[in-house]
Amino acid sequence: MKKFLSVLLTVVLLASFAAVAGAEEKTTITVWCWDPAFNIYAMNEAAKVYAQINPDVEIEVIEVASNDCETRQTAAFISGQMDDLPDIVLMQDNSGQKFLSTYPGMYYDLTDKIDYSNFADFKVNYFVSEGRNYAVPFDNGCAAMFIRTDILEEAGYTLADVTDITWSRFIEIGKDVKEKTGVPILTCEMGLADFLMMIPQSAGTWYFDEEGNPNIAGNEVLKATLETIKQMADAGIVYEAVDWAEYISTLNTGKAASTIQGCWILGSVVLAEDQAGKWGVTNIPRLDNIEGATNYSNQGGSSWLVLANSENAEIAADFLNQTFAGSTEFYQTILKSSGAIATYLPAAEGEAYAAPHEFFGGQAVFADIMEFSAQIPKVELRLYNYEARDALRDALQAYRDGGDLDSLMQEAQDTVEFLMME
Amino acid sequence: MSQIRIRRGKLRPARVAKYAFLVLASFLSAFPFYWMLVSATNSNQAIMEMRMFPGANLIENWKTLTAGYALGTAFLNSLRNATVTTVCALFISSLAGYGFVVYRDKYKNLVMSLLMLSMMVPAAATLIPMFRMFSRMGLNNSLLGVMLPSVATAFLIFMFRQGTQSFPDAIIQAARIDGLGELRIFLQMYMPIMKPTYAAAATVTFMNAWNAYLWPLVILQSPDQITMPMLISNTMNVYVVDYGMVMLAVSICTIPTLVLFFALQRSFVEGILGSVK
Amino acid sequence: MTTTQPKPLRKSKGLMHHINRVGWLFILPAVALILVLCFYPMIEAFILSLQKGKGNNLSWNGLNNYTRLFKDKVYLQAVQNTFFYLIIQVPIMLGIALLLASMLNDKTLRFKGIFRTLIFLPCATSLVSCSIIFKQLFSPSGLVNTLLLTWGWISEPYPFLTEATSARIIIIVTMLWRWTGYNMIFYLAGLQNIDYQVYEAARIDGASAVQQFTKITVPLLKPIILMTTVLSTNGTLQLFDEVRNMTNGGPNNATTTISTYIYKLSFEQVPQFGYASALAYTIFIMVAILALIQMKVGDKQ
Repeated sequence: MKKFLSVLLTVVLLASFAAVAGAEEKTTITVWCWDPAFNIYAMNEAAKVYAQINPDVEIEVIEVASNDCETRQTAAFISGQMDDLPDIVLMQDNSGQKFLSTYPGMYYDLTDKIDYSNFADFKVNYFVSEGRNYAVPFDNGCAAMFIRTDILEEAGYTLADVTDITWSRFIEIGKDVKEKTGVPILTCEMGLADFLMMIPQSAGTWYFDEEGNPNIAGNEVLKATLETIKQMADAGIVYEAVDWAEYISTLNTGKAASTIQGCWILGSVVLAEDQAGKWGVTNIPRLDNIEGATNYSNQGGSSWLVLANSENAEIAADFLNQTFAGSTEFYQTILKSSGAIATYLPAAEGEAYAAPHEFFGGQAVFADIMEFSAQIPKVELRLYNYEARDALRDALQAYRDGGDLDSLMQEAQDTVEFLMME
Repeated sequence: MSQIRIRRGKLRPARVAKYAFLVLASFLSAFPFYWMLVSATNSNQAIMEMRMFPGANLIENWKTLTAGYALGTAFLNSLRNATVTTVCALFISSLAGYGFVVYRDKYKNLVMSLLMLSMMVPAAATLIPMFRMFSRMGLNNSLLGVMLPSVATAFLIFMFRQGTQSFPDAIIQAARIDGLGELRIFLQMYMPIMKPTYAAAATVTFMNAWNAYLWPLVILQSPDQITMPMLISNTMNVYVVDYGMVMLAVSICTIPTLVLFFALQRSFVEGILGSVK
Repeated sequence: MTTTQPKPLRKSKGLMHHINRVGWLFILPAVALILVLCFYPMIEAFILSLQKGKGNNLSWNGLNNYTRLFKDKVYLQAVQNTFFYLIIQVPIMLGIALLLASMLNDKTLRFKGIFRTLIFLPCATSLVSCSIIFKQLFSPSGLVNTLLLTWGWISEPYPFLTEATSARIIIIVTMLWRWTGYNMIFYLAGLQNIDYQVYEAARIDGASAVQQFTKITVPLLKPIILMTTVLSTNGTLQLFDEVRNMTNGGPNNATTTISTYIYKLSFEQVPQFGYASALAYTIFIMVAILALIQMKVGDKQ
């Protein structure tokens, strides 16, 4: 009996050792992100890279749509039930400040883990809260003008004629193109709300002042932004698509000559294979008569965050550091297969970035976009980012319907202040 | 007899109008459905051009969908969740609906009015407290967790309560005289006779459970618990949307509701009196 | 909330008294579940509605969330929109559904099965495809504009979804499309409880189709009509999916409903759960009052 017991004890001990060893051997890092062709693909490639550095770590990627990611995080944080959250989440840059300041302490501090000097300043800034960094920047949202060079040519213009121009010049050319070819120069989603973010950022201005208070009423840049958008719409040179599907279809079927959008739209532009060689990429127009106005801005993009609650936060941070924040080669791989343009500046030196792109008539579009993104002005996004944008969107709509701009901007300011009040 | 024939003759224009109205209503109802099915067979490009006829891209779309997404898992999860929810909901709610009518008294009427109140709170508002409560009970990622909130709904109880009001009281009295117990009267007399109401209730309950989004999203976070609406949400949340594939996923998503409708619709139309006679 | 404990009836009537007590067992499972799963979170939501703050960082705020509502333009707009939908959409929808159901209940009608199935199809069609197609239909280059232009009724494309009134009407059309067949099912099920011979007798007595509808169908279906009215009122006051998918509240909050605003306050904007809960309670009170009126009116007739 004694013998039996001692054997049993040994077996149990051995088994538990094995279990512990087994558990240590395989650390699984789970990741939530969306878009199989883009983010998920990149994450899986990064996992391959890291497998060679640290073979004991397994990366498990789970597809969760971006809104769903946010809903689940909100529900988890507010109820304190965080067991089901992953180790790493992808988050839209625009949502960063909302989550960082509403749920302090929920994300892992990456300040000392990542060399942030390798990333464009404007991009890093989306996830800085009280001087600390909480995200590894990923895909580039650098705004660019994707334009049909053949339609331009028909109207007597070249790509150079729409490069480094002002909005008023753009509208002029647009009218001319419309007259000569019958095609609206620009397509965008209904309401033109994207420009409410792109244009102010191109002039280095945002909706809030240094203290984080709304800075809408009497803001010259915002006023110029709304005026420009209305002029553009009134000139009849914009096709306003009812939704994303129609927007993409206007691009791919030649219903409009260009779009001004984050560079990730490239993946949709190249879908129209019959238009290969007929497209070009250049920078976006700048505001007239505004000090500090540039031809560069940002629209969209996302970054990786590590959850503070994660048991493997340190490993997750190391994983991100060695891949998304440390491997030029990795970025060449994902660029070639998925068109995911980096915000990791050293990546631009790789061969994939310098290669000419056939769809764009041999233009080295990726190198150009990297060059644009280095010049994007930095702005301070704030907690009430979406609220301010929505208020401005409403103001723009009312202004286009014939309202008085100054009072509408005052109204937008009041709306945001109302929402900030508790 | 001849009188009726004359009457029918007179009614002819009215009958034409009736058919015209039904044809119009059917056409308007079916058109988006038709477009959805057609789009599932077309390429992304063809859908962008609003192509209205079947294409040859169905197999291609199927391959993309099954290669990129756990379609089988999501479909079976949704099917399991919706079926179990429907069966439990129908039983518990019809029991209560029957109870409220057959054993009517003023206290029960008061309870019913209170239950009605529960129907009127927007789901978005109770989501967080519910999630908190379910997490404490350890019901995350479980079938019980996802179905429990829809098992007893004031909506269904109300539906059965209204349906029961036309249930002949004589049948119950006769059964009692025959010495049947109260539960057996419910199971053996009421349930078979109320088939039309059960069929209608099953159709709408299944439909609601099948399409449920917000609650499953937060309570079922584990990837092996993914449901069809979550999967469709994933297919749309990409930089480059493949609408052919999305439409195929959406078409597949409608199959169970339709099958159920086909299977049960006879019950709405054959009716109790027909079967009793 | 009152207690659900079975209270003995004062006016005891022997057997009926006993049977009515048994009745409590029938309703007990459902009542218990609703108490725990609905009333308890409702109470928590009410407590939350008395608090303010972002995310988890909450503090007491008294009734300030409720008084704040009256100063909130978006909320007032949302209430107005919601009632607009309610008043226009519910009667039209139920009217058409009732008409369709009684037409389909005609034994002499041919192709009933096909009509019934086709009219039910919108319920099974996913909102995703429905919203894509409705938006496409009404887009500047969509079918509706193309037709209107060809017929010469308009000279340039009309921005249906960016103009306040037309956007609201399109939301109503989408709801009608989606939910008429759904309500028809309830009526069809209800009509089966009416003896078809009643109609035949009425026909022999010379009652017209309209008379049959108003004198037989409507009165006998009253419990079901009352039910669908209460349910549709509730559904419309909580309207969410259609608006979110079609216009997301735009243009300028012209189509926002109370539910989409609650969602926005909880999950899109900086989360203000306290304020969102207060908003939810106002819907609750409105639906409750309306349901009460409808039930009172329905029971009296």
